[in-house]
Amino acid sequence: MRAEAPAPARAVKGRRWEALLWLGPSLALIAGVVFYPAVALVHASLGRYSITGVYQGSVGADNYVRLLQQPALSTVLTNTVVWVGAVVAVTVVVSLALAQLLNQPFPGRALVRWALIVPWAASLIMTSKLFVWIYDYYFGALNRLLTSAGVLARPVDWLGDDATVMGAMIAVGIFVSLPFTTYVVLAGLASIPGEVYEAARVDGASRWATYRRLTLPLLKPALLVAVVLNVIYVFNSFPIVWTLNDRNPGFAHDTMVTFMYKIAFKSALRDVGLAAALGVVNVLLILVAVLAYLRTVRWDDGEAAASGRA
Amino acid sequence: MKGVLAAVVLIAAFAVACDRGAGGGPGITVVIAEYSKDHTRGFWQALAEQYTKQGGPKVDLRIIDWNSIDQQVTTMIQNNQPPDVLNLNSFSSYARDGLLYPAEDVLSPNTREDFLEAFARGGQYQGKLYGLPILSSARAFFYNRDLFAKAGLEAPPKTWNDFVQHAKKLQALGGGVIGYAMPLGPEEAQAEWAIWMWNGGGDWKQADAWAINSDANVRTLTFLADLANRQRVTQVNPGKTNRTDGAFQLFKDGKVGMVIGFSPLAKQLDAEGKVKYGVAEMPTTLGKPTTLGVEDYLMAFKKKDNRDAVKKFLDLYYQPDNITKWITAEGFLPVTKSGLERMRSNAALAPYLDALPNARLAPTTDPAWDRVKLDVQQNIGAAVQPGGNPKGVLDQLQRNAVAAAGAR
Amino acid sequence: MRRAALTAAGWALACVVLAPYAVMLLTALKPDAELRTTPPRLLPVLWRPENFLDVLGDPDFASWLRVSLVVATASTAIVVLAAAPAAYYTARHRFPGRTAFLVVVLVTQMFSPTALVVGLYRQFFELDLVNTYAALILTNAAFNLAFAIWILRAFFASIPREIEEAAAVDGCGRAGALLRVVLPLSLPGLVTAVIFAFIAAWNEYIVALTLMTAPERKPLTVGITTYVTAYVQHWNHLFAASVLAIVPVVVLFALIERHLVGGLTAGSVK
Repeated sequence: MRAEAPAPARAVKGRRWEALLWLGPSLALIAGVVFYPAVALVHASLGRYSITGVYQGSVGADNYVRLLQQPALSTVLTNTVVWVGAVVAVTVVVSLALAQLLNQPFPGRALVRWALIVPWAASLIMTSKLFVWIYDYYFGALNRLLTSAGVLARPVDWLGDDATVMGAMIAVGIFVSLPFTTYVVLAGLASIPGEVYEAARVDGASRWATYRRLTLPLLKPALLVAVVLNVIYVFNSFPIVWTLNDRNPGFAHDTMVTFMYKIAFKSALRDVGLAAALGVVNVLLILVAVLAYLRTVRWDDGEAAASGRA
Repeated sequence: MKGVLAAVVLIAAFAVACDRGAGGGPGITVVIAEYSKDHTRGFWQALAEQYTKQGGPKVDLRIIDWNSIDQQVTTMIQNNQPPDVLNLNSFSSYARDGLLYPAEDVLSPNTREDFLEAFARGGQYQGKLYGLPILSSARAFFYNRDLFAKAGLEAPPKTWNDFVQHAKKLQALGGGVIGYAMPLGPEEAQAEWAIWMWNGGGDWKQADAWAINSDANVRTLTFLADLANRQRVTQVNPGKTNRTDGAFQLFKDGKVGMVIGFSPLAKQLDAEGKVKYGVAEMPTTLGKPTTLGVEDYLMAFKKKDNRDAVKKFLDLYYQPDNITKWITAEGFLPVTKSGLERMRSNAALAPYLDALPNARLAPTTDPAWDRVKLDVQQNIGAAVQPGGNPKGVLDQLQRNAVAAAGAR
Repeated sequence: MRRAALTAAGWALACVVLAPYAVMLLTALKPDAELRTTPPRLLPVLWRPENFLDVLGDPDFASWLRVSLVVATASTAIVVLAAAPAAYYTARHRFPGRTAFLVVVLVTQMFSPTALVVGLYRQFFELDLVNTYAALILTNAAFNLAFAIWILRAFFASIPREIEEAAAVDGCGRAGALLRVVLPLSLPGLVTAVIFAFIAAWNEYIVALTLMTAPERKPLTVGITTYVTAYVQHWNHLFAASVLAIVPVVVLFALIERHLVGGLTAGSVK
């Protein structure tokens, strides 16, 4: 079936009221919970605050100007791009493979699926603290494992050495994002009807060709959800970077979100207004990134095709 | 399946509909930092109950861990809902913003006179006492007796030269032994730095002006950087090691010869019984060794009609029995003359109590200190990393301090 | 042969994924003195399963667990109840404002809770809802809405209209078609949304920290941080509590995960 023919005006109006009914609860939740704090954030970004938090009046766009003058901003921005890019890209690719694996029957599959839920089930803070433990130079299991196995000649200060911190954090980011993404893809795989594969097999297509030409395109809606949401969550992810980077002075390995927190509470700046400005900038950044992605991927066309499948 | 669904929806509805907020009605909000899971809540809960029983209003007691307390308090103040009584490690910014009662408004004269001189002075802003001392701690020099014996060292070092020699001999023991564990990571770098700085003859300020990059201080920081990078007698990446999960852990494991610690560390060492340690005075370049004293504060926020309630609460806490009971349980040191008397009999605390008269405090009375402290915490570690520039770091800190003093 | 390779790969995956948590479990079984030793030892010398009993017996722990269960369950229910109709409607119909709605929903996710927490606190304080279940439940529900709506929408959209219309014509009516045909077919999406919303609410930290200050209202994430403070550190208890906190989630998952293997049955479109 094709997309709907343009509807007469009266039907469209009726549609509007109907839409309100179905969308109502969601809109109410958003309006009730998120709207006011979002406005408060913007208001805070336009104000000046004492180090104690006392509001001292409006300063217009001054905080945004000062934000752009922060010497650490370019480093933090670069870190964030690397952080989000590496974690999301690797997670999605690996998740595709893992979902394929977990979609095939084999003995013990249920247990493996249950195992995969654990990194997701554990709170990010706990997993981060666990990895601080594991990455420790003197007491950590990783150094112990690698030096005993002969892979490393000497232990490495994973979290203290500037060369390895980012990689160590990205590894944890990927580790905790894999379960969620794999299950989204699995759910997507589960909705592909069996006949599709039947037909391909009858046609004599190779496994890889089937995957590339049939499965992947059919997974597009699921992948879309996975990528967009992962980008948002990883960008906003606070506990991993905060906990693993805790012992490093300066801002050399911070992402935009931890930089925001440090500006507000932990650095000499102690400036809640400036931090709020960064909070607003963060939202705009992801918004632009996500909208660009959605436009590139033409999300709307994809699903019109899917729902029109005969 | 349907039954489970129905139950779940019922729970949701119930939870949302029937739960009511804790606000409304007179009462005071008391925010205390969480020193330990085992003691803090227990003591303050009991105190709050005693207070209410004696006729005070209800107490909304909040115990908040040190990691989050700054964020939580700032949130409360940003929303115009400051607590009535707050326990924190700084106060002068709140005093400068006019948020606090001075001591004469909320403490009885007896209590005010009972404070130890140095601690009372450390709580003053523009001549008036706003930051009421709640407890204190003093740093001491810890050394591992077994490792000293193995390295043929008889006594803890008194001068810096001795110190370096000792550290080298300990490091030479091999087997992962570390001469001196130096925590200059962002957690409490200013404490470690302050002790070395003072014993090197420098200070935060000279007269009333910031002097962070004085010659003496540059010499001292260079000395520390050398310990790490030239003599190599410290643990790896000292600029990125914190005290509690870094330097202290290594000492507790028995792998460190010397570290600067305090009484809670001693308590933990005693409890574990793994390490034979000794406590001594700091090595110094001056005649007399100096150590760092730290006090935490209680402060009372000015709110409508809460003065009497707050006064009653504070007077209750400052009764010698109460205050001593809590400080002892947490393993800290007294801030009052009467408390000092009572705690003298505790032999384990002797080295710290003896150090108290020579203990110096950070310049907490200057509101700019709040920013300077954070600046030092965040940045001084870079100076002792390979390729670090001690003079450059101190110069930057000095510039920021002067700017903070001038600005709001 | 292929079976064997798959099985090996599967079990290897499970090992890699569980390895760090095995470290967590083993550390949870160590006594205080063994927590940090050099060279590091994986297995405890002195096994101390009492650490788990300490945590289970701690009345605080029971309270935190109760709060977490109520908040996570209730907010998940609300998310699904709000998201499903919205997702269905936007999947099936084009209407003015559809894109705007979906983007607005997504934008709410983009605000970092860390940035919003101040405003949230003030809002709930004005409504006298600080320290209530309602505040945390509604907040978690609102913050997890985007995922639920987007993934449910993808699922509803992938179900061909014909199936639904066929069922309606066959005598179910529109509502019946919805309940008896569409929902079951989109079960994998529903299950994913439920798991996601539950876990997100179960593990939420910063908002819970700010809104729930009374001890009897603290959820697990906030409560267990008390085992390790600046001055006293019981990492073994912290990890024991963390292991225990994972259990309810895994149980929930085990109960509903088979519905993840759903999908259109062959021949349903005839």
